[in-house]
Amino acid sequence: MNDTVIASFTKRYESLGGQVRVAVSTESAALAAVEIVRERGGTRVAVAGLDEPLAEAFERALAGAGVEVLREPFTGVKLPHGIDECQAGITGAVFGIAQSGTLAEVATNDAVRLVSGLPRTHIGVVKASEIVERFEDAAPRLRAIFSEHSGACTVSFISGPSRTGDIELILTMGVHGPEAAYVIVLDDAEGRDSQ
Amino acid sequence: MTERYERLCAAVSKALETPERGTALQRCMQRGRDSRGRAIAALPGGEAFRAEVKAIKDRCIDRQDELVAKFTASARARGAHVHSAENGAAAIEYVLDLARKRGAATIAKSKSLTTEEIEINDPLIEAGLRVIETDLGELIIQLVHERPYHLVFPAVHKLTAEVAEIFAKSLDKEVSPDIPSIMKVVRAYLRPIFLDADIGMTGANIGVAENGSIVIETNEGNGRLVSTIGNCHVCVMGIEKIVDTIDEALTLVLAHPVSSSGQLPTTYVTWMAGRAPLGEGDAARETHIILLDNGRKAMRQDPGLKEALNCIRCGACMNICTTYGVVGGHTFGHIYPGPIGIPWTAAVHGLDKAAEFTPLCISCGLCREICPAEIDLPMLIAEVKHRVAKEDGYRRADRTMMDAERFAQVGSTLAPVANRVLKNPTARRIMSRALGIDANRVLPAFSRKTFTQLFPGHTSTVADPVRKVALFIDVYANFNRPDIGMAAVACLEAAGCEVLLPEQRASGYPYIGYGDLDRAREAAAFNVARLAPLAEEGCDIVAIEPTAAYCLCHAYPALLGGSRKSRSVAERSFEIFRYLLDHEPEGQADNLSGRRYGFHVSCHQRPMGSGREAMEWLQRRGAHVELIETGTCCGMGGTFGLKAGPLGQGLSKAAGEGLCKKIRESGVEAMVSESSVCALQLREGTGLPVFHPLELLRHAKGEKKQGGHA
Ligand code: SF4
Ligand code: SF4
Repeated sequence: MNDTVIASFTKRYESLGGQVRVAVSTESAALAAVEIVRERGGTRVAVAGLDEPLAEAFERALAGAGVEVLREPFTGVKLPHGIDECQAGITGAVFGIAQSGTLAEVATNDAVRLVSGLPRTHIGVVKASEIVERFEDAAPRLRAIFSEHSGACTVSFISGPSRTGDIELILTMGVHGPEAAYVIVLDDAEGRDSQ
Repeated sequence: MTERYERLCAAVSKALETPERGTALQRCMQRGRDSRGRAIAALPGGEAFRAEVKAIKDRCIDRQDELVAKFTASARARGAHVHSAENGAAAIEYVLDLARKRGAATIAKSKSLTTEEIEINDPLIEAGLRVIETDLGELIIQLVHERPYHLVFPAVHKLTAEVAEIFAKSLDKEVSPDIPSIMKVVRAYLRPIFLDADIGMTGANIGVAENGSIVIETNEGNGRLVSTIGNCHVCVMGIEKIVDTIDEALTLVLAHPVSSSGQLPTTYVTWMAGRAPLGEGDAARETHIILLDNGRKAMRQDPGLKEALNCIRCGACMNICTTYGVVGGHTFGHIYPGPIGIPWTAAVHGLDKAAEFTPLCISCGLCREICPAEIDLPMLIAEVKHRVAKEDGYRRADRTMMDAERFAQVGSTLAPVANRVLKNPTARRIMSRALGIDANRVLPAFSRKTFTQLFPGHTSTVADPVRKVALFIDVYANFNRPDIGMAAVACLEAAGCEVLLPEQRASGYPYIGYGDLDRAREAAAFNVARLAPLAEEGCDIVAIEPTAAYCLCHAYPALLGGSRKSRSVAERSFEIFRYLLDHEPEGQADNLSGRRYGFHVSCHQRPMGSGREAMEWLQRRGAHVELIETGTCCGMGGTFGLKAGPLGQGLSKAAGEGLCKKIRESGVEAMVSESSVCALQLREGTGLPVFHPLELLRHAKGEKKQGGHA
């Protein structure tokens, strides 16, 4: 089940100019992040919206590789400028949509949106079991999110790197937001997580 | 009125002088159509989503008052300030006041047509605020103080080198004329503006009543940044954007980018409910949603324009409109450009402003076929033309074209003389002055005997008819080429049909094209009254001319408010080749082989099989026939291209040049088209003979050769 959905998500997301890495454990997800940040030449990275164990694993791995990590609640970081100074932002997505190659990120404070919106590289992390197949399957997920958070809440759909066609309708990446977009899919199928 | 018309003629002439501009624009439009086509081909259900979008918009506009109240309540419950503005001035005042109270200096904007509509930037700048457009296209036109050229791609008319120059000049920097260098400069210029703006201003693609969220779709990500950073966020949204549920919004979130750029969905879709603090534990920040009326409530009460409220601003209609492709969005538009610009301008900026460019619509109907909300744009535009004509009257040439049937009657009564007149240059110059018909167009000769006169003398060849067919003959086959009419009868009889010729008038489409909806309704009512009883008895109705079939199937029900009779007629009406394919006997003689034919789809065939039936019918007979198309109109626009002057044959020929060039380069020996007027345009534009499919059959039988239907 996970395999087909991961395959169709990957195909779509990569057709949009993004890249997908599949990881079978928290640790390998963190290593994938380190690899991407290295490839992109990042020395400072912001992390937001990840589950606590994931966030810790990422911080450990990145710090171990000599990368400075900013984490929520971003104490001592001047917002939004501090995030802008990062070369990469890593955020957790609450679900994904395979048909459209989309990550859905929830923010009840906008620092999360800054992390996926300002740096040149964005790495989204999503669990394979949270990827729905079709676009319309997002409706119940959205409804649930907005009833869980009854106050201010923003859901961002992100499908690949920032792009524009404003000059002669020629597709160009990264005009304002990330020019490079990655997704780490955490394949959390039973029996794998524990390996 | 004359002044206005002269102004428009001058603008068209100017565009005709620099065809390179048009060619560049048309290339972009083609790119837009191609990506849309590819995306729709990959979409489960293909174009089915269009009917769904229409249903959503119809029902939400009908429930508008209720949904505005629901949205307001749920957005407030999330902490948003919601304010209703009756017009642009009220919205501007609100923002000015807000900026004053907050001591704001900089406003960063993301793309919003609604703020363009009310021209909010100038008064804000006059009040001392720094207002920066952050969408790349909007920024480009802001720097050169222009209006959007296209709804979705506002700077589509600026080529890369020009854009580089604009940035070099405005930012006083070296910018090499390639897109990556431009991107670098833009990113560096805008970044501090995003970070330090006091107010972020956006529009919204959708408002969702269910959860009080606004939906902002962008590809660049500027909408996200603008709505994330500033301490205060303002959203200006037309009240027609509100839908009820998340599911409805999701359908629109797909339909919009699929139609505009072939994406599903845009890179970023922000569902923003209330305003979150910047960092965890920080103080809450403000969001102000301004719900703009500015003529929308009146539109909803106006049956002639109401459907325009269904527009989801995808811009697809301007990617297909041939005359827009020639003259561009500054001539074809006020603030809202392109096809939808006509009814929207009439509704929010006034009939006078719309009248400035309405005559550019040649009523090809293609915008209706591409619109994701299935808006009957040609009918809305006809309504605007009608309103303009009620004040200004009709131009001479338009009156001539609307009287085509009467002229044809006279022409065929006086056939030999009339035909000599049509060939006489002096007479044609006089006709050009007196009637507005271009002197150089080769007009079809009249037949001395009309089809209506000939048909009663014909004896049916079917002994046991299996079905009855009422033939809808229209002007051309009746007055110019009754032989094509008789060939249609022969084919129908060979398919076992008893052919009737009920009393009828011409289809009346020119009344729609030139905006006399009273007479269009008369013609529709006349024909429907005579055809409906037959249809209700089980008789099928068959038309030879695509525009006539389009009238029976689509325009009449629209003109007659979807009356039962008009629907009975529509349900049983067919274009002849669809009908023949279904009913003719198997195993047709293979007698059309040998020549390479190109096929041209007339615009009005687009909702009826796009000519596939006629091609298949020809192929069954061994013909080698290939489709040659650009996806838009040949530029004739019915009879528009017969009119003298830049706003007639001048524009028409320029609009058709792309297609004619493609045909010339294709190497086909002759063209086939079911439309008599397209045939005229193609013959002149390509130098090739152009045939009606039924004519080819006659050739095969070895009857006297004609140079194509002229
Ligand atoms: S009907 Fe044709 S000419 Fe008129 S606005 Fe639509 S696409 Fe353009
Ligand atoms: S009228 Fe239709 S095609 Fe044109 S912009 Fe609006 S929704 Fe798109």
